[in-house]
Amino acid sequence: MSERLKAVFKSEPIGVTRLVSYIMAGDPSVEASLRRLKGLADHGVDVLELGVPFSDPMADGVVIQAAAERALNAQMTVKKTLKLVQEFRRTHDTPLLLMSYLNPLLRYGWDQLVEDASDAGVDGFILPDLPWREGQGLRLRTKKRVGNKLDFIPMIAQTSREQDVQAVSQVTEGFAYVISRNGITGGEVELPASVNKFIESLGNSLQIPRCVGFGIQKPEQVRALAKVCDGVVVGSALVKAFAKLDQKGLEEQDLIEQEKEVFSWLASLKN
Amino acid sequence: MVKEKTHVLSDDGYETSGHFGPYGGAYVPETLVPALRELEAAYMESCQDESFQQEFKELLQRYVGRPSLFYEAKRLAKQLGGARIYLKREDLNHTGAHKINNTLGQVLLAKRMGKKRVIAETGAGQHGVATATACALFALPCVVYMGEEDVRRQNLNVLRMRLLGAEVRTVTHGSCTLKDAINEALRDWVTNVEETFYCFGTAAGPHPYPTIVRDFQTVIGQETREQALNELGKLPDAIIACIGGGSNAIGIFHPFIDDKEVRLIGVEAGGTGNKTGENAATLCLGEPGVLHGAYSYLLQDDDGQIVVTTSVSAGLDYPGVGPEHSNLKETGRADYVSISDQEALDACTLLCQTEGILPALESAHAVAYAAKLAPGLSKDQVIVVNLSGRGDKDVETLAQYLEGGANHE
Repeated sequence: MSERLKAVFKSEPIGVTRLVSYIMAGDPSVEASLRRLKGLADHGVDVLELGVPFSDPMADGVVIQAAAERALNAQMTVKKTLKLVQEFRRTHDTPLLLMSYLNPLLRYGWDQLVEDASDAGVDGFILPDLPWREGQGLRLRTKKRVGNKLDFIPMIAQTSREQDVQAVSQVTEGFAYVISRNGITGGEVELPASVNKFIESLGNSLQIPRCVGFGIQKPEQVRALAKVCDGVVVGSALVKAFAKLDQKGLEEQDLIEQEKEVFSWLASLKN
Repeated sequence: MVKEKTHVLSDDGYETSGHFGPYGGAYVPETLVPALRELEAAYMESCQDESFQQEFKELLQRYVGRPSLFYEAKRLAKQLGGARIYLKREDLNHTGAHKINNTLGQVLLAKRMGKKRVIAETGAGQHGVATATACALFALPCVVYMGEEDVRRQNLNVLRMRLLGAEVRTVTHGSCTLKDAINEALRDWVTNVEETFYCFGTAAGPHPYPTIVRDFQTVIGQETREQALNELGKLPDAIIACIGGGSNAIGIFHPFIDDKEVRLIGVEAGGTGNKTGENAATLCLGEPGVLHGAYSYLLQDDDGQIVVTTSVSAGLDYPGVGPEHSNLKETGRADYVSISDQEALDACTLLCQTEGILPALESAHAVAYAAKLAPGLSKDQVIVVNLSGRGDKDVETLAQYLEGGANHE
């Protein structure tokens, strides 16, 4: 298991819970992504998710689709994403997970990918189009190649049945990513009242911490979820906030100033 | 850049879901996993249920008009010289294409599963029309996703869907064609999964769709086999079908897979050229990867991004292909070739003027390849072309072609 990730869940959270943030690599540029990763880490984000852009992101809503398009227009690739992580690791120790659809990673070459990712300082993967039961071969292959350096984060959905949860019950690395509702990332839809109950129903069947994501953007949501989980993921709301700044066409110094407001807003979610 | 040489996803035999050789699988968001499992179980049950099978069979006979004709195109063959040519007339089915075979099967399944709502994607609009038709017949609300580009070039089918009571939702991102319509339908499904049945239009996508769609389309090949034996006293020498996702092709190929003497030829859209972006010839020019839930051949760039495709025919304008075809390519059982826009358009007028039959631009790709193959064969050899759909929907595109020469845009 990634030591960096382990450390986060071992220590007590600062604020009501732990914060996992998501941004898309290369949206709108490598430099902006690096600066924002550092800023997020400096402002109390516990775990960073870094999206790898894909042309056909079927699990994503319009906000992250648009971010992927911007990143692809800026010629972002897996290779450049890994370089970005390497650069981030020179100064920061915050655990970082790559969130990617399978195809760009397969195209890079899986064995090469896991070696390069582990060398760059990636702590694991979140793969929205690789359900847990389909990923066994890939996980074992990765283990053979780089040992326990890269964690695979299992996702648990509201539709998941006992057998699906059972399948991840043996997992001892990383955390479980619990999807707050049926649907795609982002959106203004309220979380269903049943979500807390659902997380509680997972009970002792998991050995790993639980983080909840999809549609989270308000402090009251975070406070309610904090009672039943170990962390929350903020993705689309953050991507949207940065995209709004990028559209303003600000001078770099003004942009950097206004980014700080986004970091503070994010940090305030867990107060 | 290092290219993947092995099929890492199915390596070590760890795959659990629906593979054809190394291809297939169910690479979808976790939220959809139980829904696919439920669909697979319901489908397996329906295969054992005689009353379901009987209802499906009766619909095919009394509603679709099956068996479809097995027609010898004598004037076409005479003009080309060489082999005899038969057309499997799926264009004469109710709604004008093979798509209705699959949608009736799937909508029956939706009823059986107690689903309250049906969604579908469509490229040329034929699957959308066929789904809307089945939903009208079984009184289920229907939403069809269609790319903006396809809405424009297949407007007749958009009107037909609306007349049938379906809601057509225009997809305005990505390349605004079939692949984007599938993305959007998958997003709808993952959001409304409990009550929604996704009626998938081709033998691609996550398991169990490639199997279900193939099975519902296999009636084409079964009939062809029987009709060939009755009429010719032997099996055909070659079977030719066009391939977008590949449902009409796998439907006619499948009952012949063990008959090694029958050549199986899939015809892809060669578009305007062989360069990236100029065609939709996935098996001819692509490499394996994961799109829309399956591991199969894809048109992609060096970074694993799906590329924009080009074809005069909306139904073939798709950067993926069904996983069973990828495996038939890998094992060498079927051959895959491509036909350019121009050749397809020429074949369209050729068939019109020799036989009085207007094929869909998709099916015209298969006709065009038959026109290439026939002259090299002898008079006692037989080619069967799967004429998967009729061309009424394409008359505007054809009119532009006739007026403007090759410039069909």
